[in-house]
Amino acid sequence: MYNMLTIAQRTITQLLRDPRTLALILIVPLVISSLIGYSMPSKDLLNSTLPAILAMLVLFFGFLLSGIAFLRERSQGTRERLMASPVSRQDILIGYLLGFLLFTMIQTLILFFFSIWVLKADFTGSLWQIIVFQILIGILAVCLGIFISAFAGNEFQMIQFIPLIIVPQIFVCGLLFPVDQMPIFLQWVSRFLPLTYGVDGLRAMMLQGKSLTNIGKDIGVLGAYAVGLMLLAGISLRRGHGA
Amino acid sequence: MPDQAISIEKLTFNYGRLKVINDISLEIPKGSSFGLLGPNGAGKTTLIRLLTGLLKPSSGSISCSGNPPSPANAKNIGYMPQMPSLYSELTVKQNIDFFARIYGMREKHQRFQRVDEVIKLVELWAKRNISITQLSGGMKQRASLACAIVHQPPLLFLDEPTVGLDPELRAHFWEYFARLTSAGATLIISSHTMDDAAHCEKLAFMREGKIIAMGSPSELKASTGKPDANLEDAFLYFVRLGEVTANV
Repeated sequence: MYNMLTIAQRTITQLLRDPRTLALILIVPLVISSLIGYSMPSKDLLNSTLPAILAMLVLFFGFLLSGIAFLRERSQGTRERLMASPVSRQDILIGYLLGFLLFTMIQTLILFFFSIWVLKADFTGSLWQIIVFQILIGILAVCLGIFISAFAGNEFQMIQFIPLIIVPQIFVCGLLFPVDQMPIFLQWVSRFLPLTYGVDGLRAMMLQGKSLTNIGKDIGVLGAYAVGLMLLAGISLRRGHGA
Repeated sequence: MPDQAISIEKLTFNYGRLKVINDISLEIPKGSSFGLLGPNGAGKTTLIRLLTGLLKPSSGSISCSGNPPSPANAKNIGYMPQMPSLYSELTVKQNIDFFARIYGMREKHQRFQRVDEVIKLVELWAKRNISITQLSGGMKQRASLACAIVHQPPLLFLDEPTVGLDPELRAHFWEYFARLTSAGATLIISSHTMDDAAHCEKLAFMREGKIIAMGSPSELKASTGKPDANLEDAFLYFVRLGEVTANV
């Protein structure tokens, strides 16, 4: 636990000592939310699309932040140094998860509260439960970023994973077109992608006023994805296999 | 307690079809400085990475103070990789403190004292609150060394520790390494420069994943049969000897 928290604290300190990155982390969600909000032709359209947009943005920002930061750990050689130390794989992965999650959550809260306070979007359902569900999407995003970074040799390759991993999920999650109007095979693809469940869950909570207990399937799938991705990321961090 | 800090038996490591480490056996006594000398690509870094547990041998065995390399034993080793490998946004002090913490130095007062001590030792006191990005190459090397020694490990792996250092600082490093061995620590140092190697008590000449000769610097020089031979002559002598033997 001590090593895990030490790694989380170091990750947070690193980002806090990088003012430009920190500013971008805070400003980008504001810019994107403003663009989305003010480009919507009607408030009804904003209300109905907001849950899907929020789920998509949380996944996108979390993936990008954690993926690049975790990749840097390898490219600057510090991961090798960590792997030669007494810290375990769990310490590294959960330490990173906690560190990145803080910033992913800050971005999530900016997106959410800007939408409801500034853009005046309406929603039903419990505020704290909606935030808890968004945290779950954030956890998934960080796990996905950490896992995918194992396959990227540099930052450029990591960016290339966005059109491969994130964009297809945006197309088939129901944000642009209803899933049930898509060809059958795409409906099947949609069922295997985590963003679909993030969008489903957030829609159910924000538009239909459902609670966390009503969206057990979405929570279960997102949680299973997060745990599965962390386990796979752990395999890529095995000692004795280089770093 | 075993007297050997390191025991390696018939160690082989293959990278695909390439034999990077080829049937190496050696023993390194506790409290000594052992140099791995050879050109780039000889297998020095791979051997160090095998000894730290970062790589798993294809065959053969490794024992560090009687145990195979594992996270449980990692507390007793210090590792300075070839590239500085530091967190660039963090300050010198934050980097060293981080490594002190993950190597088990939990008591704050004691840790802070030790962190300050190693910062002074590597002569970075004036730069302690400056981020790594603002340091020169030599300063980064010094900060990297400080991270490797902060927890006072009995076994220290230093991969090309003096690369990029000016002669004065290099001499300073070697003085410190000698102090560490006299205090009982074992140092395994890789280098491709003969000047560095001369400081080690015992040397292994490496070439193409094999140890082609082993002994003290004076023994290796004496093997050439020339009274004025230096380590470079000795290395070339053993390379040629190996080629002749291979052709017979």
